[in-house]
Amino acid sequence: MHNFLNLFKGEMQRMIKYKILQISFVVTLLWLVIMFLIGADYVGDFVPLFIFMDASMMTVLLVGANLFFEKQENTLKTMLITPSSYYAILASKFIASVYLALQSAILISLFAYILFDVSVNFPLLVLFVVVITFAHTAIGFTFTVFVREFTGLLAFMIFYMFLFAFPSIFYFLGIFGDAFEYILMFSPTHGSLLMIDYAYGVEVSWYLLLIANTYLVMLGIGLIHFVVSPKYVETAVRE
Amino acid sequence: MSKKVFEVKDLRYRYRKGNVEAVRGISFDVYEGEIFGLLGPSGAGKSTTQKIMTKLFKEYAGEIVYLGKDLKQYDNQYFETLGVGFELPVHFSKLTGLENMKFFSQLYKERADIETLLDMVGLLDDKDRMVAQYSKGMKMRLNFVRALLNKPKLLFLDEVTNGLDPKNARIIKDAIRRFKEEGGTVFLTTHLMNDVEELCDRVAFIRQGEIVEISTPRDLKIKYGEREVRVEYYNNNQTKEAKFPLDGLGENKEFLALLEEETIETIHSGETTLDQIFIEVTGEKVDA
Repeated sequence: MHNFLNLFKGEMQRMIKYKILQISFVVTLLWLVIMFLIGADYVGDFVPLFIFMDASMMTVLLVGANLFFEKQENTLKTMLITPSSYYAILASKFIASVYLALQSAILISLFAYILFDVSVNFPLLVLFVVVITFAHTAIGFTFTVFVREFTGLLAFMIFYMFLFAFPSIFYFLGIFGDAFEYILMFSPTHGSLLMIDYAYGVEVSWYLLLIANTYLVMLGIGLIHFVVSPKYVETAVRE
Repeated sequence: MSKKVFEVKDLRYRYRKGNVEAVRGISFDVYEGEIFGLLGPSGAGKSTTQKIMTKLFKEYAGEIVYLGKDLKQYDNQYFETLGVGFELPVHFSKLTGLENMKFFSQLYKERADIETLLDMVGLLDDKDRMVAQYSKGMKMRLNFVRALLNKPKLLFLDEVTNGLDPKNARIIKDAIRRFKEEGGTVFLTTHLMNDVEELCDRVAFIRQGEIVEISTPRDLKIKYGEREVRVEYYNNNQTKEAKFPLDGLGENKEFLALLEEETIETIHSGETTLDQIFIEVTGEKVDA
């Protein structure tokens, strides 16, 4: 526990020093500017999308970039020769990532509520953002342990967006029909979007919500256990 | 002889994608208070062996006993007792040198005074500069400080003077010697024979994953040297050379006459250098 707190403090310190926290904050500000541009009539439709983008795609990108920096600087390796357990190291990264996503979600939702009267089930939003960020942090880790170059990480991101994010967005924009919904449930982004929507009062059937939550939690655990863990040391030690 | 810190028995390791074993059944002991050098060309298996001994690689065959107990039975507390100096810099480049050391230090129970260590390697004045602004030599010195943060009893050092100028290499070598004098044990992997010559009590040469020679530097020099004395002397405005067998030198009339009658310029025994031994036993040239 002692080491976990120190590891977490270290993660937060590096988020500031590497300007990841600041970048995340700027992105949040951009969402706020876009909210103003959209205007009060439609902003309620877009707020869930902004929070979804932050908790999913931004998380993958920021986690991937952060881990990639560490890989380049060989600090992953030196962490493995400290008394900190591997799981404490990973957990500190997860919590830091959740912190980032929550910071954005809270700011966006508060702003939308105060200025545009967009109401939200706040405790549910927080819970869902934690679940979504957990799964997408695991996805970010997974990408990073497989790539050697930063461009590889970007390629994975683009592939992921085309395969998972865009179909969900198209579905919500009505471009894809309802029949696609069950196929889309295999997409982590689709479940994420459903959850955020539900927190914002959109009607979502309870079983889809249950499937989405269970799927994201299981996906996160599965990726950590079966993909990230076996590859982490290899990634850390590779020079 | 002191007690054994490590007993390595028939150690074998194969990389997941490798067709051949990177380490092929090597055995050696490391004793408390000694500086043990594992020497060999790139790709010979030195770093792999060190990664196994520092528990970075866990799926090995054979046995490693650390202080009387199988290494596999140690949990992460093992790392409280050892320091590792890596071949490449291992720091967060956007943190200062001091911030880096503070972060790593707080992960251990035992903590050395960071500023004293930074001062020892000449980095105290640069402690508040970002590591990204450090030269490679400064980063390597910071690596060494990193290895000493937890007051270790055992140091693993991989090419620790790599990239350092002679003055800074001297600082590190003196610090290693002091560490040994205070009872510490050092496991050094290197291909720099100068370091070995100055520091190591015993060395093992590794070639293609196998240990081909293990002994003290002195004994190796005697073993691989020629048992002869080479004399350079000045005669008829020329420098001439004569060689005499070392055995029975005191009764060698020709040698004694030379000493008596000629102007001797140099006398050398035929002991060889570690560089030459390295080339002979590993079949590789030594990097400068």
